[in-house]
Amino acid sequence: MQVRQPSSEPAVNLDELLARVDNDRELLRDLVVIFKHDFPRQITALQRAIAESDLKTTERASHTLKGMFLSLSAPHAVAAAIRLEQLAGAQDIEALPIALKRLENEGALLLPELEVHLGKIE
Amino acid sequence: MMRILIADDDALSRTLLERTLRLAGYEVTVVDNGRSAVEQLCCQDGPRLALLDWVMPELDGPAVCREVRQKKEQPYVHMVLLTSKESKQDVVEGLESGADDYLVKPFDVAELKARLRTGLRILQLEDRLVEAREDMRFKATHDPLTGLFNRGVIVDLLAREVTRSHREGSCSVVLLADVDHFKAINDTRGHVVGDVVLKEIANRILGSVRSYDYVGRYGGEEFLVVLNNCDVSLSQSRAEQIRLAIASPPVQTPWDPIPVTMSLGVLATKDCGLLSVEEIIHEADAALYKAKAAGRNCVKFANPPCHQPSNPRNLTPASS
Repeated sequence: MQVRQPSSEPAVNLDELLARVDNDRELLRDLVVIFKHDFPRQITALQRAIAESDLKTTERASHTLKGMFLSLSAPHAVAAAIRLEQLAGAQDIEALPIALKRLENEGALLLPELEVHLGKIE
Repeated sequence: MMRILIADDDALSRTLLERTLRLAGYEVTVVDNGRSAVEQLCCQDGPRLALLDWVMPELDGPAVCREVRQKKEQPYVHMVLLTSKESKQDVVEGLESGADDYLVKPFDVAELKARLRTGLRILQLEDRLVEAREDMRFKATHDPLTGLFNRGVIVDLLAREVTRSHREGSCSVVLLADVDHFKAINDTRGHVVGDVVLKEIANRILGSVRSYDYVGRYGGEEFLVVLNNCDVSLSQSRAEQIRLAIASPPVQTPWDPIPVTMSLGVLATKDCGLLSVEEIIHEADAALYKAKAAGRNCVKFANPPCHQPSNPRNLTPASS
């Protein structure tokens, strides 16, 4: 599995995200707080579902994460969530753990970048 | 302020949408599952605009659309599916489920607002159509001067009530009432005053009956009243109550107070077997004629084929 490094392309499309929140710092802060809370919860749910070969829950949770990453304009994380959702839909159980690892990695890269951006907004 | 429902199980998406729409001037209600969305949209005075995620616990977005569309008696709800499912097949399935519009996440703020404004225009158009339909329905069923049921409707209601009372073995009381010397009011004071008198009489009759009784304008100065589920023994007092309500006080007009009286012919359906509606009205009319012949301002009961009850119910005219 190729793991994207923090120094490569940005995890967040900042211009798109700022347009979406209308440069509202408070709103962006709220979104980051929600992400901090919900992302680990969804990852835990995914880990359990994949361990139990529960494809329906895997597909649903990865779909939810996809929506979350779309709202945060995080294209790489979106791609990782789509990949996991598709694999669950295709019942490719063996490929799920690697796809999950990629998703965890992309999510982990996202948070520090979001916090940096948050600090820059007036 | 227009109310809108956001249904999404993703807290981040809900927060983003809620803030965006509040800033756009909407009153926002937020739920995190499909079942709650249906409850909100189907309750009385619920939101009529909805943004629905597709994948949600309990009920998904298309299922919400289907359930809401099944409730035909409620005002139209404009529903927009907002989802990260973006295949043509998904779009078709979403719209076929009853959604009015389909947006793909991540949403563009300007496009979202424009689509919701389109929804508002459709709802406003629907409101105008419903208002026009209700206005036409009212005009088709009510007398324009008094606001009472018109002749066709009051006769239909009487027919339904007669059928119901026969079926249930209950009794309805029919009153045919005519304003005494109304022509003289029109001739001496003019039709404008005559109209004022008719409107006031209509109000007084309505004020003398129960909310579930029927009152209609049968002809020029004739009124047909159907007292639903009214015991025969009470028919006399109920008719008398109406007569007294008309007789005093005099009707106030912009010019002068006018004393008005009314004669009433009464028939209780339980007393007259299986008469047709036409025969019932005919008998009530004959009783009304008797009241006129007896000096007016009185109540007279129908004769056979409706047999007289044991208690005398023909009232002598009050002093007038």
